[in-house]
Amino acid sequence: MVVENIGPALANLADPFVIFLMTAGVLLGIIMGSIPGMTATMTIAVLLSFTFTMDPAHGMMLLLGIYGGAVYSGSIPAILIRTPGTPSAAATLFDGHPLSKKGEAGRAIKASTVASFIGGVISVLALMFFSPVIAGAALEFRSPEFFALAVFGLTIIASVSGDSITKGMVSGLLGMLVATVGIDPITGFHRYTFDMAKLLTGVEFIAVMIGLFGIAEGLRKYSQGIDDDTDEAAQEMTGVFPSRADLKSIMPVSVGSGVLGAFIGSIPGAGGDIAAFITYNEATRWLKDSVPAFGDGNIRGVAAAESGNNASTGGALIPTLTLGIPGDSVSAILIGALMVHDINPGPGLYQDEPELLYTIFVGFLVIYILILIFGLLGANYWARLINIPSSHIWPVILVLCVIGSIALRGNVFDAWVMLGAGVLGYAMRLRGYPLAPMVLGLILAPIAEVNLRRSLVLSGGSLDIFYTSPIALLVLLLSAAAITVPAVRSVRG
Amino acid sequence: MIKQKVADSIDQLGPSSIRSNPLAVVFILLAVVVIFSASQFPDDGQVGPGFFPILVAVGIVVFSFADILTSTETDLEISEFSFRPPAIVLGLLVAYLLVMPFTGFLVGTMLYMPAILYYSGIKSKPLMAGLSVGLPILLFYIFARVFLIRLPEGIVPISRLLPRLPLVVIPGWL
Repeated sequence: MVVENIGPALANLADPFVIFLMTAGVLLGIIMGSIPGMTATMTIAVLLSFTFTMDPAHGMMLLLGIYGGAVYSGSIPAILIRTPGTPSAAATLFDGHPLSKKGEAGRAIKASTVASFIGGVISVLALMFFSPVIAGAALEFRSPEFFALAVFGLTIIASVSGDSITKGMVSGLLGMLVATVGIDPITGFHRYTFDMAKLLTGVEFIAVMIGLFGIAEGLRKYSQGIDDDTDEAAQEMTGVFPSRADLKSIMPVSVGSGVLGAFIGSIPGAGGDIAAFITYNEATRWLKDSVPAFGDGNIRGVAAAESGNNASTGGALIPTLTLGIPGDSVSAILIGALMVHDINPGPGLYQDEPELLYTIFVGFLVIYILILIFGLLGANYWARLINIPSSHIWPVILVLCVIGSIALRGNVFDAWVMLGAGVLGYAMRLRGYPLAPMVLGLILAPIAEVNLRRSLVLSGGSLDIFYTSPIALLVLLLSAAAITVPAVRSVRG
Repeated sequence: MIKQKVADSIDQLGPSSIRSNPLAVVFILLAVVVIFSASQFPDDGQVGPGFFPILVAVGIVVFSFADILTSTETDLEISEFSFRPPAIVLGLLVAYLLVMPFTGFLVGTMLYMPAILYYSGIKSKPLMAGLSVGLPILLFYIFARVFLIRLPEGIVPISRLLPRLPLVVIPGWL
């Protein structure tokens, strides 16, 4: 199945407009990721509106280019100024910045580029070969299994997305509550619509996402001080390619971290930051006699973290595309991008839209090749982006948030929803609530509700249906463990 | 030991622990309203339209209550923040959205941009003028003329005066 779908995918990607979109996405991602505080999630949420009228495959190429580019380039400020451009690059600074202090920033950035490419390619290959198998198995799933998966998605995400599992759960449940607004999917009853026609189809969750990741982050940035985060990062880099010795040194750790990172990324909720910390930690365990020591500017530490975080990008798409359960907040937005075109990610997608899927897979591989090319050729230029003051960027982002939400349905109402979500998100961030579970709750609620109610109708109201299905039972037990194990650990202190 | 910790937390529950987490209290109140209103929805058995909102709202009450019991002031990063700047930015955004039905997107954005740029500390007049005029026009062309998305035009549709683009058909678009 894989081979026979690659031909049509390559034909789709040979279109000059698609090549332009992939290139534009990668460049935008690299630019935004290089600026501290500009995350891949925020960039994709704000620029999603540019894809509304595009062919879905074309839109995904732009968004995946931004995703891969931003996760890669977050390493540049981490190496140069000890400030990760994106959360995924937090582990990169342990060895990247010491290398920079020795005057070897160029060496670290080149290693990071090659490792990001290796991790990314491994994860896309994993996505390409494993996801059809998972989707095939999931075709057997019925309502109880899908309900259990939705619950699992929410609990695992809440348990890994912040310090407080209770706050993560509240955030996810609030997202679910917002998703209940509109016409009841089973009886057609109007829930919380307040006689407003615009609410009949529910709250536009893309507007909510733009508010949570764009406006809330902007308000937070202004409250911290808008123009005090520039940092001089001048360090000239010579040559384009890493040395043969560095390549030989980073290759094994990049491959190993790529495999591990793709696996971690495929766990719902475990995004690039968690993948990078785990792969970095594993590298320090496996290569503990490495010289220089990890933390003192070991090039393999940079490679482990960067391969791990980029490998999570393809990994995150595995549950997203096969089960409709987002792997991280970016993949939640990508689900939104597909749903705008009435395409619902899940096992059926592999039967209904194989050409779209394989265009995404092969396109993501091409995107990683573009990242390698632009990363190596433009390292000197990307490093200078760090000095762009955020006072120049945030006013533009705020306008993009407004136009992005208006563009959803061509009305200002969705901009008000976006603004409301932004204020709520800002208040929640101040109080330590993670926002990613809220977005995932918004996406998972319809899956959870419809499948729960269908299951209960099928069983005549009995809960037996959930524990007589071995898969549903196993997944629900895992969900319970995802909440109780960290909670008990936290109470034990 | 766990029992003891839970008992200690309950003992400490009082006005101060609630004050330290006002958002949790707001969420509990919201959930109670949802439970009350959803219980009025027409019920055709136990899985009617109110079933799921009630289930979710009960979850919010349980986890918010657990959050009040377990959270402390030290969890918060609130002290690092100043509230005046985000309030001003929010006020500007509210004003921007309020005037947009009258001014349209193009003029509304041209009015909003200088205000937010000035507040963001940009003093360069050429940069301010360029961004205030150039960005709205660029976005208008991208969204309204290329993507063919309807943007608010306002009472006087000034945006219609902008020259049209030559028609270019991109395969796969639209």
